[in-house]
Formats: sequence, C-alpha cells, structure tokens
Amino acid sequence: MDFLLASLIDGLLLGFVYGIAAMGLTLIWGVMNVINLSHGPIIALGMFGVYYIFSALGIHPYLALIAVAAGGLLLGGLIYFVAVHRVIDAPHLSTLLATFSVNMIIIGLGTAAFSASPRNVDFTLGSFEIGSITILGTRLVAAILAMFVTGGLYLFLYKSRYGRYIRAVTDNRDAAELMGVPSVRILALSFGLGTMLAAISGGLIATFFPFTILAGGSYELKSFVVSVLGGLGNPVGALLAGLILGAIEGIIPTVLPTTWVPVLEFVLFILILLFRPQGLFKTKSS
Amino acid sequence: MGMLEIRDITSGYGEVQILWGTTLNLEKGDLTSLVGANGAGKTTTMRTIMGLLKPWQGSVWFDGQDISNMSAHEKAEIGVVLVPEGRQLFTQMSIEENLEMGASPKRARPHIQRNLERVYAMFPRLKERRLQKAGTMSGGEQQMLAVARGIMAEPIVLMIDELSLGLAPVLVLDLFQTLQKLKSEGMTMMLVEQNVQMALAVSDYAYVMAHGKVELHGNSRELAKNEYVRKAYLGL
Ligand SMILES: Nc1ncnc2c1ncn2[C@@H]1O[C@H](COP(=O)(O)OP(=O)(O)OP(=O)(O)O)[C@@H](O)[C@H]1O
Ligand SMILES: [Mg+2]
Repeated sequence: MDFLLASLIDGLLLGFVYGIAAMGLTLIWGVMNVINLSHGPIIALGMFGVYYIFSALGIHPYLALIAVAAGGLLLGGLIYFVAVHRVIDAPHLSTLLATFSVNMIIIGLGTAAFSASPRNVDFTLGSFEIGSITILGTRLVAAILAMFVTGGLYLFLYKSRYGRYIRAVTDNRDAAELMGVPSVRILALSFGLGTMLAAISGGLIATFFPFTILAGGSYELKSFVVSVLGGLGNPVGALLAGLILGAIEGIIPTVLPTTWVPVLEFVLFILILLFRPQGLFKTKSS
Repeated sequence: MGMLEIRDITSGYGEVQILWGTTLNLEKGDLTSLVGANGAGKTTTMRTIMGLLKPWQGSVWFDGQDISNMSAHEKAEIGVVLVPEGRQLFTQMSIEENLEMGASPKRARPHIQRNLERVYAMFPRLKERRLQKAGTMSGGEQQMLAVARGIMAEPIVLMIDELSLGLAPVLVLDLFQTLQKLKSEGMTMMLVEQNVQMALAVSDYAYVMAHGKVELHGNSRELAKNEYVRKAYLGL
C-alpha cells in the first residue's frame, strides 16, 4: 500500500512537469492553430541549457532555469519569424512541415554539438521521508516550480495587457488588429511563451533524469497525450491532465511491466480522441 | 482636403477583383454614408481602407498623410477605427474586457476611464452586464458593444459597417443620436448602411456604390431627392 502511494506521489510530482510541457504545446495550438513539432527538441535544449550552465559555469541549476526560460522565449520568437510566420495562414500541413523541419535542424545541430551520449546534471537535493514514503527533493522542487510557472502564466494571460492581447488574438485576430493590437508580434510572443514552457520543463526534467539530444521526443509525445486529454488549447486542462498522466505513469509499473506504460498511455490517447475529443475538462458551452 | 481620402483603390480576394477604382473623401467633422446593394463592395472597401486587405492600386490618406502601407493596428493607433461588419467581438471575454481591448491604442489609454463612463452612459445595458461573456449576449447587445468598443479607441475617424443590422428601430434611433453627439464633438464618421432612407436622413454626404465603384455621390439631402436613387434604392 505504501509502495503504491509512494509511486503515485512520485508520478504526480512528475505530472506537474508534464503539465507545463503540454501547456507550451497547447498554448501555441490555442493561439495560432499550429502543432509545434519542434516541441521535443526544445525540451531537450532546455535540458542541455541547464546542464551546461551548471557544469561549465557552476551556476545553480534552478538559477540556470531562468536563463533557459529567457533563451526559450527568444528562440521561440526566432522560430516563429523564420519558420512559421510565412505559412501561418496556409493549411495545417505547411505548418507541420515547417516546425518538423525546425525539429530536424535542432536535432542535427544538437547531435553534432553534444553527440548522442547521455548526460546527467550531477546535482541532488537528497530525499526526505514522510512516514514510510520517500520523496526525492529534486522532484518536489520541480513540482513546486512548475506550479509557480503555471500561476505566473495564468496571471500573465489574465491580468496583464499583453496577456489580454494574446487572448484577443486567439479569439479574433482581425478584430484585435482593428483595435490596435500588433497581431504578428503577439503571435511571435505566444510562440515564444510556448517554447519557453517546453524549455523550462526540459530543464526541470534534467535535474532528475539522464538525457540525450533525442530525449525530447518521448516528452513531446507525452505532451500530445496530455494536451488532448486536457482539451487542446486549454492550458489549465493541460496541467490537470499532466497530473493524470503522471499518476498513471506512477501506478502502472507497480502492477505491470514498465513497457506497458506507453502502450496504455496511447490507448488512453486514442480513447480520448474517439470518445471525448474536446478533452476531459471542456464543457460544451466554452 | 478631407480627413480621410481614398483615391482610386482597386482590390479583391485572391485573383478576384472586387473594387474597380473606388474614390471616397470624408470631410473633417462630417457624417458620411456609404450605401449600395448587397455585394456592391462596401465591406471590401472598409477592409481595404484598414489594410486588412492589401490595396492592389490606389492610396489611402489620413489628414494629409499617405497611410496606404500601414497595417490595421497602426491605423487604429493613429485614430482610424473600424467597427467591422458582423461585430467581431472577443466572444470569450467579458463586456468590460472587450471595452478595455477597444482602448488598446496608446492614444486611447489615458482616456479609458472617461470613455468607459461615456459608453456606459450611452448604453446602460452594457454596464448592467459588464461581467457577462460577450459571446452570450443578444444580437442587439452585441451590436451596442461593437460600437462602444470602437468609441473606446478614441477615434478621429470612426467607420461603422452595418450599424443598424439586427437592431430594433427604437435602438437604431438611439444609436443615430449617439452618433450625432460624437459628430458634434468633432469626430469624422462613415456609416455603411442597408437602411438607405435612414442613412441619407442623418448624414451630410453620401456615396452610392455599385459593382465595386462609386456610382453616385453628393449631398445627402439632394441624393434623397434624386429620381434614380429614389427608384433604385428607396423603392419609391
Ligand atoms: N472573403 C471573400 N472571398 C471572396 N470573395 C469575397 C469575400 N468577401 C466578399 N467577397 C465578394 O466580394 C463582393 C463584395 O462583397 P462585400 O462584402 O464587400 O459587399 P457589401 O457591399 O459589403 O455587401 P453587404 O451589403 O451584403 O454587406 C461580393 O461579391 C462577395 O461575394
Ligand atoms: Mg458588407
């Protein structure tokens, strides 16, 4: 029983991080109807960002995250203008191919620069016990930081001028333009925020799992499952769905071999697409 | 020279040309109306003036300045504001947030409080429901909000595409009175209207559009007496 509870808590803590990764994906989809296939490599870049800032400069990984977040924001803006902007009104296939190309470029450059050998951030916060349950410090901090990031995103979107602009452009881009909103810059900002969230999630994952430049791929797939579960375009749904996925990942290995985890995740993915494509949390009216 | 001048504009959608050399001139402080049959190109003209559609040829001038190459948000920023056809509200936002969005241009921000009070006084209904989502309001309420949002932008030139569509006649009269008030404050306005009789009655100058061109223009009162206009547009 304790073992089950420990796995569940472990999974839930991880779920917060999945949640913010998926928020990045879902934010971009929600604002501009673009599926960002460079999501995974950006998660990996976040991992490498924390790794190098920590191991080469000796800066604390959680401080390194700030630089990684800023880098993610800028990189996202750059990707928007270079690869996405010109095809933003074209059919979905064009934006898929454009972001997929970015995906290939990052992986190619990343493999050349970092090789494909695994790294890990040599850093620990120890662990502590609550009753008979052991919690890894880095995971707890990652979950707490992910909550702060979520809260920050919410405040930004709902309480700030630029957040309101993002919601306006999401709602009706032409009307936003007519009201004086520079919609192209807002799209670039939104893409930047989406990649920033991906990079932060990568940076957090790097504090407890080893990784290579290819490691982002599996988190990208999880982000898809989580986004769809939470309702594509719904950031709050993404966080809740992240927790669900985390919990599933925590519990399944206690009853089945670990290899079943992706199988069941994608069965869930298909079931959701079939029976509740609007996601778990979306009501009909909204 | 007019406050807003549209010189010999051509434009369209994709390969399809809709406007074939449209020329309009809005005198400062005038209420100008633009009328014409369905499909004549009125909305296309508005979208091209704002830059939501790129003009193929011709130019747009605001207060003596060529603004043909500005994008829509830059035009809103300098005071050229369109209340678009079909309302185009931010449906997921509350009424108040829609109004705050209207006040996005820098020139409008310092006056947001005054303008809020002003539009709430014009449309008390909006104040009562200010926290309701715009998408859940009735058609008439949405139209009020669309106009109010435009006023929030502190326009120098305010263009309204389909003012009276879907509104009860009493409300239309109210709205026209509101516009008269704005006009007395010096605002330059253009109205696109289906109700030609009403449009000619309230405006100073009018343009009649057909097939992507200005067919007739002149003093509204004189146009209202014009034999051809009476037959073709007023059904008299
Ligand atoms: N997005 C579009 N793509 C292609 N053609 C369009 C588009 N929008 C409008 N048109 C065409 O352009 C022509 C002019 O349309 P427009 O909307 O400017 O007319 P209008 O004068 O505003 O009419 P109404 O009084 O019905 O609003 C019409 O023939 C219309 O079918
Ligand atoms: Mg029209």
